[in-house]
Amino acid sequence: MPVGLQAQPSLGVPGKKRWAMVIDLRRCIGCMACVCADKAEYDVPLGVWRTIVKVKDTGSYPNTKRHFMPRLCNHCDNPPCVRNCPTEATYKHEEGFVLQRYERCIACRTCIAACPYNARHVLPKNRDRVKIGGVIDKCTFCHHRVAADLVPACVQTCLGRSRIFGDLNDPNSEVARLVARHSVVTLKPEKGTAPQVYYIKPDRVHTEQVLSRPVSHAARADAEAFYRHNRGTQFFSGVL
Amino acid sequence: MFEYFEFNIAPWGWEITVYFFLIGTAAMTYVYAAAPAVFGDVFGGIARSMEPFQKTGMLAALVLLLISGPLLIVDLGVPERFLYPILHFHWTSPLSWGALFLPLFGLCIVGFLAALWFNRPQLLKPIGILGMLLSLSMPLYTGLDLMVHQTRELWSNPTIPVLFVILSVSSGTALVSVIHLARGQFDARTFEFLHWFLYVALGTTLALFLGELVTLLYGSAELQQAWTLINERFWVQFWVMTFGLGILTPFLLMIVTHYWKSARVLTLAAVLAAVGAFFFRSVLIYAGQLTQIYY
Ligand code: SF4
Ligand code: SF4
Repeated sequence: MPVGLQAQPSLGVPGKKRWAMVIDLRRCIGCMACVCADKAEYDVPLGVWRTIVKVKDTGSYPNTKRHFMPRLCNHCDNPPCVRNCPTEATYKHEEGFVLQRYERCIACRTCIAACPYNARHVLPKNRDRVKIGGVIDKCTFCHHRVAADLVPACVQTCLGRSRIFGDLNDPNSEVARLVARHSVVTLKPEKGTAPQVYYIKPDRVHTEQVLSRPVSHAARADAEAFYRHNRGTQFFSGVL
Repeated sequence: MFEYFEFNIAPWGWEITVYFFLIGTAAMTYVYAAAPAVFGDVFGGIARSMEPFQKTGMLAALVLLLISGPLLIVDLGVPERFLYPILHFHWTSPLSWGALFLPLFGLCIVGFLAALWFNRPQLLKPIGILGMLLSLSMPLYTGLDLMVHQTRELWSNPTIPVLFVILSVSSGTALVSVIHLARGQFDARTFEFLHWFLYVALGTTLALFLGELVTLLYGSAELQQAWTLINERFWVQFWVMTFGLGILTPFLLMIVTHYWKSARVLTLAAVLAAVGAFFFRSVLIYAGQLTQIYY
């Protein structure tokens, strides 16, 4: 077993499930319905996200293109966030979910630092309706829905059927067939995290580290205004 | 407007940078204060030059610990759970080990002070040795805290823990020099002792700084991105405060003190090296986070 994990990786292990997601980027239209569904499912507060759709514009007028790329926790088979957590608050489920024990998390943010995909965030302390606050949160692959034989909220709502969810260990599942037939890509495979979100036909602007910085002036101005107004710094200091 | 999503908050802010700096300084101050008891007559008994500093040094280390410990705790989102890393110990997390060693280090300081206070000289050596090992673990664990993030290439570098130990030697030497100067306790042997430590610390820092440069210049895509970030957002901290003020200037001052043995110049060199030690760490911590936060 990779060191520091609580469950063996289940990918390819007979008799075990390995939940995974395939995102077919040929079908994504950037409607953000998945982001909204997720916000609604978990009452995700303003300013933080469990899932996003990254948007990049390339080219110059009139030869321009807008690229979309849904992003979420990759539920890595070898997750560095789990290995680095000092309290085992974040752990690996035997079916592949990487989950969070809120009652144990001290919000040291080591897991945020460890995740190469920027998939984790801190929940504000005082929230209106939901009591859980002041700890780290992330996408759960909708564990509670999957346990009830439902698909994750973002998959349910995806109107382009760009997001497909299923058991990768079952050769007859749609995800297994898609992964077998297409030249799928995972993000930063060289980091050894074994991510379990597979992309069909991503653009380089979205997968490569050197191209990952925000480019548009408007985006930067927007974000800087956000930090000035809410937090004052881009680094975590007194946010909670 | 959609790119707004890309901005997240980076996990570690100034509290962590200051904590790393203070705990490293406390660790090295302990080493200086315990040196006469531990090393005694070895190396020609030069460590004995620290004898008048034992009590003050231990008190200084204790004060630093009493500042940095609570700083680390209030930085947690849920400070009241600060014992969880020990109660739910996770052996692969350096933070868990740090949480275990930090109070033990505190106990060694208190124990050493008690042994001095109640005049139990036979206890000084064992407590001193144990405390020195624990004090070494302080900058080591903070460096490991970054190094184990194998997915962050600026950090996943085996020299980081060594660098943090060396930077703590610089900042500890600065504190010890300032205290000696303020109390008028500098003599030739103290001067020689501190001078030697600062030389080694600065030389190693320069070597590691150059090593870091080579890594950044010839590195992967992520390191190239880090390099751009450093030169855009952190160039003052990196080139001016770390390299110019924190490494080069103290080196020049050390050459001066080689010929002209001035405690004031040595103290100035040590303080500048400590400034460099602070900024070197902070640039590494900040730039290392931003590459992935933008991803
Ligand atoms: S994507 Fe990040 S948060 Fe999710 S399992 Fe992998 S390392 Fe952990
Ligand atoms: S913030 Fe919480 S989940 Fe993340 S590493 Fe710290 S204790 Fe673990």
